[in-house]
Amino acid sequence: MKKVQYICTLLFGVAVLLFFGLAYPHHLHYQEQYQLFLFDSTYAWDIVRLPGGIADLLGRFCTQFFLYAWVGALIIALLLSAVQLQTLRLANSRTSQAAKPSGVWFYGLSFVPSFLLWLFLLDEHALLGGVWAVLLTLHATRLFDEIPDGWVRRILLMVAIPVLYWMVGPVCVLFFLLLAPSPKHAAWYYSVFVLLAIMLAILPSYVPVPADRLWTGIHYHRYPTTVPVLLWSAALFVFVLTLIVRFCQKWAKASNGYVVTLCSFVLVAVCMGGIVWKNSNFKAEKVMQYDFMACHQQWNRILEAVNAEKPNNQIGVTVQNLALAMHGMLVDHLFDYNQNGIAGLLPDVQSDATSPMPTAEAFYQLGMIHVAQRTVFEAQEAILDFQKSARCYKRLAQTNLIIGSYEVARKYLTALQKTLFYRDWANETLSLLGDEKAIAQHPEYGRLRQCAYDENFYFSDHVTPEMLESLFFSNTDNRLALDYLRAYYMLTGDRESFAKLLLRLQGAKN
Amino acid sequence: MPAIFPDYCNVTVPCNIAPLNFMLPADQYEACVARISTPDGQQQTYGHGVKVQIPEEEWHAMLDASKGKSMKVEVWGQKEGEWLSFSPFEIHVAEEPIDEYLSYRLIEPSYVAWTYMEIAQRNLTTFEESQIFNNEITMNDNRIGQCINCHSYQNYKTDNMLFHVRLANAGTVIVNDGKVSKVNLKRDYTISSGVYPAWHPTAKLIAFSTNLTRQAFHTSNPNKIEVYDLASDMILYDVEADSVSIVSNDSTLLEIYPTWSPDGKYLYYGKSVPLPEEMRDKDIRTTYPKIQYNLYRRSFDLATHGFGEEELVYDAASDDKSVTLPRISPDGRYLLFAIGQYGCFHSRHHDGDIVCIPMEQYTGTALNAENTSPIDLTSVNSDGYSDSYPSWSSNGHWIMLASRRDDDNYSRVYFAYFNNGKVGKAFLLPQEDPERHTTLLKSYNRPEFMVEPVRISVAEFAKVFE
Repeated sequence: MKKVQYICTLLFGVAVLLFFGLAYPHHLHYQEQYQLFLFDSTYAWDIVRLPGGIADLLGRFCTQFFLYAWVGALIIALLLSAVQLQTLRLANSRTSQAAKPSGVWFYGLSFVPSFLLWLFLLDEHALLGGVWAVLLTLHATRLFDEIPDGWVRRILLMVAIPVLYWMVGPVCVLFFLLLAPSPKHAAWYYSVFVLLAIMLAILPSYVPVPADRLWTGIHYHRYPTTVPVLLWSAALFVFVLTLIVRFCQKWAKASNGYVVTLCSFVLVAVCMGGIVWKNSNFKAEKVMQYDFMACHQQWNRILEAVNAEKPNNQIGVTVQNLALAMHGMLVDHLFDYNQNGIAGLLPDVQSDATSPMPTAEAFYQLGMIHVAQRTVFEAQEAILDFQKSARCYKRLAQTNLIIGSYEVARKYLTALQKTLFYRDWANETLSLLGDEKAIAQHPEYGRLRQCAYDENFYFSDHVTPEMLESLFFSNTDNRLALDYLRAYYMLTGDRESFAKLLLRLQGAKN
Repeated sequence: MPAIFPDYCNVTVPCNIAPLNFMLPADQYEACVARISTPDGQQQTYGHGVKVQIPEEEWHAMLDASKGKSMKVEVWGQKEGEWLSFSPFEIHVAEEPIDEYLSYRLIEPSYVAWTYMEIAQRNLTTFEESQIFNNEITMNDNRIGQCINCHSYQNYKTDNMLFHVRLANAGTVIVNDGKVSKVNLKRDYTISSGVYPAWHPTAKLIAFSTNLTRQAFHTSNPNKIEVYDLASDMILYDVEADSVSIVSNDSTLLEIYPTWSPDGKYLYYGKSVPLPEEMRDKDIRTTYPKIQYNLYRRSFDLATHGFGEEELVYDAASDDKSVTLPRISPDGRYLLFAIGQYGCFHSRHHDGDIVCIPMEQYTGTALNAENTSPIDLTSVNSDGYSDSYPSWSSNGHWIMLASRRDDDNYSRVYFAYFNNGKVGKAFLLPQEDPERHTTLLKSYNRPEFMVEPVRISVAEFAKVFE
């Protein structure tokens, strides 16, 4: 029977792996780019000093691997499988041999918390720390199950209140629910809830975070004001499952038939899998894919993607136009693709962390380095849980290097040296700082330096054709700027300005 | 001299300052050792890796032994296995202490958006730093965001203080004799709520400028950001009566940065000079490099809350300059201000510098670059980097400023000794880990001296938002 169960868990894990690896990889990239995990004691301390800090730290540690989607998918698969196995063991340990869920139709229900966590992770703002919080709570419960009842256990339980709360946050309430004995036999036990409530009432005076988040969790979700219902449902369902098996055991018949086990698994897997699929946001996945490709300057891949399916969202169109421009096709093929006016060429910078990034990439490639820097900086500041972004740090280091602010670039690079996956790049780039000759010869930085504005003027949130014109006439080799300027007039239908530009171009040639 | 960071070579420091920990550049040296000798003949040697970090207790004993004298510092650096010896330097220890506390806002040097920020206080005799308030605790909507700014104290004390909260849960948090409240300073006859504050030194009155502030960004100028006002006036807020009265509201000119004389009899402030006629109707973003502020003052009658006639104190525009952020020394003898070529936000101007003028030179005729002999501040100002936000310690012996000299982007707090017009070399706020100033991606914004800590906790402040 155990073999069958492990096979079911394996099948579930493989399904999670395939889902995130094949259908949802860019959600993982998205997650990775909105954090900056540093191997640094100050960074770690800033996280673990808050309630839920250990789970949060583990979540962030794992999220850095999301840079490689398959590794991220594997991590999620392992975590969700572990949650299922722990759930099953906890349910098994709370009922008679005859009614153990592993042997009855309850078995499939042990997958429900993992499916709920899967659903939770469909949201690109759901944080992996939440999943770790549930898993650590289940582990802690299993550990306590091994301790025989007595004073030692009671004392350890009291100690566990602050320790577990500090490690995983308020999800730890599951621990106390799962360990709750019958009120008739151990009324004393329920004082732990009173102690927990007192602790939560006192904590706001000492922890500088909003009081309500001490009850709902600080880092389970990127939007601090969002209560992660699915995460809480997953946690509480484990408790509900133990109640189900406890109260339904008299009707349950021990069965060692594989059929019941498999049927209950298949039933839950089909139902919950269907819900997962239905709630997956493949539109967002597509948008994230465009952003990812722009971030990694995969211009050919972008053109393949837009030729297969023309994007009809702002980010997709912006990236599509940038890829066309990088291939010198923007002006000739502008109207072969969906367009969205100026908003699809160089959209106004919005106050969010996502939409400005492809625009910033266009600014960067055009040589509008100050504009790109501002745009990336604003995007990073808009990350709602106040985290920093490795992607933004990297670009801010580049823009500062190009404009010659070496000491500022050094700050970002020094931070990136403390990361796992950006360290080598940071070391290479650090060697460029102050080396004017090497920068001039660098294929990217050298070119972008030559594209810099000759003339300084103010800009705000809206890109004007004058900005592009000034950019182009600062360096007439900057064909990208000219293509964007012509596309600007084509998209606005400004024939007069277009004609003037052509005259000016002719004048410049003569 | 050794290339130590921060540069503490031959500085004059307060007799109660925290240890001046320093380091050699990690990319050039493998190790650093420093031997410190005090006038009483004692010697101590420190060094761990490239850093020299001195235990607080030992440091304060050395300061006590060197009070009014100097300690000698010898530094050795290990490079490619060999120990190099540098010329020794001295740290002069002044008899005069510095105010025990300092508060500042820690914020990314941002453009428009911002993330987590906090107003923090630091004990200058130790490395202890604690939070006064943060922008997360009462923010009910992250999508709107919350900005906290302009912390200000009455006479260096914290029983009467304030700071602003903008956007989500907006208001001005005022502490009146230790009691916290949140007020809305916007009235239908003011252009905005209070912005840049100045507590009257003795009365429960606060002068504010009211500003319609905007920002623009440079395409290539290294100043990066321009902060300017479309309009600005001045108001007086009576804390006890919760009333706002207009001090000046000339719609054609811009008034900013009020500050009181230590006796409370004058209000100093910056005011723009009129633009040439042909420029007045143009977009302010094109005319802004021509906007310059002069320094004015008006007498103040505490009994009637009335202001006298405006006097031009310093005519910066006649020298094609713009003056901001005036501060009068506690003894009333010296005037500090920030100066730059144009505008009101020199913390973003590379030419921003601090100027100190003896007030005895002002006899009723406007001062200017021609008729004044400013105190020599070459040891305080940096070359080509923004130096701004000057202030005095409560005993008038320490000048504090915010400077971007270290990397051109992140403001850091510098102090300099001041005694009867003689000024010491500016030195950086000491940190337990000297590398902190290099790695910290936050600016020290609006540094203010305090003689005592803010005792109200973050949670207590948060309660006024409920």
